[in-house]
Amino acid sequence: MRSSTFLIAALAVGAGVFALALSHARITTNQYYLFAGFVVLQYVVLATAWNILGGYCGYVNFGTAAFFATGAYAVVALHKLGDSPGRYLSGTPAEFLMPLFPLPMPLMILAGGVVSGIVGLGMGYLTLRLRGVFFAIATLAMAVVLQTLVINWDFVDGSRGASIIRPGRVSVGPLSLSYIEYLFLLMLLLAVLALWIARLIERSRLGFGFASIRDDELAAEASGVPTLRLKLIATTLSGALMGMAGAPLPYYSGYIEPSATFGLPYAVNSIAMPMIGGTTTWAGPLIGAILLGTLQQIATVTISSVVNLLIVGLLLIVFVIAAPVGIVGLIQEFLRAAAPTRPNLRSTALIAIASYCFIVGILGIIFSLQALQTASASAVWLGALGLFVGALYLAASYGLLKLQAWGPLLASLAFGAATLSAGTNMALEGALQGASMRWGAVAVAVAAICYLQTRDVKLLYARHSSAPPVPA
Amino acid sequence: MSMDLLLNAVVAGLLLGGFYAAVTVGISISFGMLDVVNIAHPAFIILGSYIAYIVNSTTGLDPILTAIVVLPAFYLLGQGVYQVFYLSFEKRGEEALRGLAFFFGLLFVTEVVLILVFGVDYRYVQAGYIGPTWRIGFVDLPLRMLVPCFVSILLVVGLQLFLARTFVGRAIMAVAQDQQALRLLSIDPVRIKRIAFGVSIATAALAGAFLIVIQPVEPSVGREFIGRIFAICVLGGMGSLPGTVIAAMLLGIIESFTATYYGPSWAPAVAFGFLLITLAVRPAGLLGR
Repeated sequence: MRSSTFLIAALAVGAGVFALALSHARITTNQYYLFAGFVVLQYVVLATAWNILGGYCGYVNFGTAAFFATGAYAVVALHKLGDSPGRYLSGTPAEFLMPLFPLPMPLMILAGGVVSGIVGLGMGYLTLRLRGVFFAIATLAMAVVLQTLVINWDFVDGSRGASIIRPGRVSVGPLSLSYIEYLFLLMLLLAVLALWIARLIERSRLGFGFASIRDDELAAEASGVPTLRLKLIATTLSGALMGMAGAPLPYYSGYIEPSATFGLPYAVNSIAMPMIGGTTTWAGPLIGAILLGTLQQIATVTISSVVNLLIVGLLLIVFVIAAPVGIVGLIQEFLRAAAPTRPNLRSTALIAIASYCFIVGILGIIFSLQALQTASASAVWLGALGLFVGALYLAASYGLLKLQAWGPLLASLAFGAATLSAGTNMALEGALQGASMRWGAVAVAVAAICYLQTRDVKLLYARHSSAPPVPA
Repeated sequence: MSMDLLLNAVVAGLLLGGFYAAVTVGISISFGMLDVVNIAHPAFIILGSYIAYIVNSTTGLDPILTAIVVLPAFYLLGQGVYQVFYLSFEKRGEEALRGLAFFFGLLFVTEVVLILVFGVDYRYVQAGYIGPTWRIGFVDLPLRMLVPCFVSILLVVGLQLFLARTFVGRAIMAVAQDQQALRLLSIDPVRIKRIAFGVSIATAALAGAFLIVIQPVEPSVGREFIGRIFAICVLGGMGSLPGTVIAAMLLGIIESFTATYYGPSWAPAVAFGFLLITLAVRPAGLLGR
């Protein structure tokens, strides 16, 4: 696909998502999904931005929160300036600048991006000439320092935190949008932009240069790749995108303060999402961000925001140890082994089953943790059982994709156990709430078990478990 | 600028630096000698603080004594972590990107688990030397700083003797320079690295106890130390223990001056400036080759 076609396709998908979200919010008068979707989209941008430096060049940036917060605080500063420009500016510059304020949001986003990009460039210039490790450590320390600066900076209200009153409605073309709808739209556009840039880089000379740095920097340098310049481009670009992702935050939440804005969750998520999704393509961070972002929204609502961070951290550790290629890499390897020429029905079905196992497994673990937090003994037992079944599901999904001989068996077991527990649950509760979903789950489980017993599938797993492992 | 303020700032900085030496010595071994970028080291330090807190609040045992008792447990923990790191990353040659992410995940998970178990309240310990202050002329010597500083210097001297005088210690120093040579001497470099990493994590138990003696602790204070310990480690010349002590004292004095003359809220920024300047001007460190 040409990149212009990709852009058009991505914009079309974006328009579809926006239309859906908007109509849902207008019909149900419930804006929760816009707020939740905004956060997920924000993570799509952050993960993609991180991946430009981390995945393509192989340089780890632990300071996502710093870039993100730089963007956010640049906007706070601009907002404060816009509140009463006359107080801070005087003379001719004031006359020129006064009519510009309040700046429209897209301009503020751009400004946030520029400031963060400059921070990225400066950081990179000081540390990228050394080993990559030093860059990683410096980014880690940078978050602490920028936070100290902001805490001591009274203009943006320091450690008290700054409150910003969200403007009312905004009209975009023929549409009159509420401000959260407007922010959602902007973040959606930003996500499309980030993905388009990432894909463009992947297929350009720049991307090949990045890949050469990742694979062997010394060899790249020796064969004439301008490594420092490329690394600086990557850092600047990645930092700028992160800043742009952070810029709408003050208007989104209405109040920001340093310790949350510089919080570790942003850094962890933006590392975990590409690592779990897969770092070599633009699709990896997208998949990781949508998956983890949505899960976290669910977990924040159902359990607590601390537990969902725990889940992200554990998933990150499990993935870097067990599946360093990420979800996209796992699927690619699976396809290479199971359907070398082109994806067929069998491989598609198996991927669908494996993804289902993965998602259900994680959801199961989240809800089990929720059950474990309640006091009643029966709920604790159910929670423990759910944890076990969730782990079973995750292992089954791994086994299926890795073409292990035990994969189908484990998956059948997991589906069986889930059906049993769903059945007991329904019998216990009288099963009124969410019964249709449970029946659906049971139907999927039975269908999957039947499919896994077909000769076709058995043949595939029998053949590959005896064959030597497939080279990557 | 009055004389006694200046002198007090210098002494406070030296005491703080002694504590920083204990915090950094583990990183000097793991990052400086073994080339394992253990950014989770502060998490182990906080873990040490919390163990000292639990034991102190239940039995009233001295926090530093507690740390000495749990040293073997931390040593084994370190060996375990290194084994996982070795099998999953170093053996496959993927330590650069994924190894860093692994340690970052470890740092994060430890912090979140501590928050889940203990909440975000500040915790502190009781010990006879936490309150009183010695005065020599107009110089204050708070015992809660002096005792950790003293034990910390003992720790570093002990480690230096261990590294320079014993067979295993010398093997650890050698692993930093040439693994092949070790293999030729029929020493297993992985075993040596495992031991060294265990020692490095064991120092975190002590550093954690010092930390909770010096200040109240909550799960996320560990992060403030990441910049400091790596700045000290790099400036100290990556794996030179005497260099580590000198750099730690230097950073301690600079931070103490910043706190005295500009206010304590600026202190965290100092370490980073320190690190950046070190990296930009003299990446080999003070005593580096």
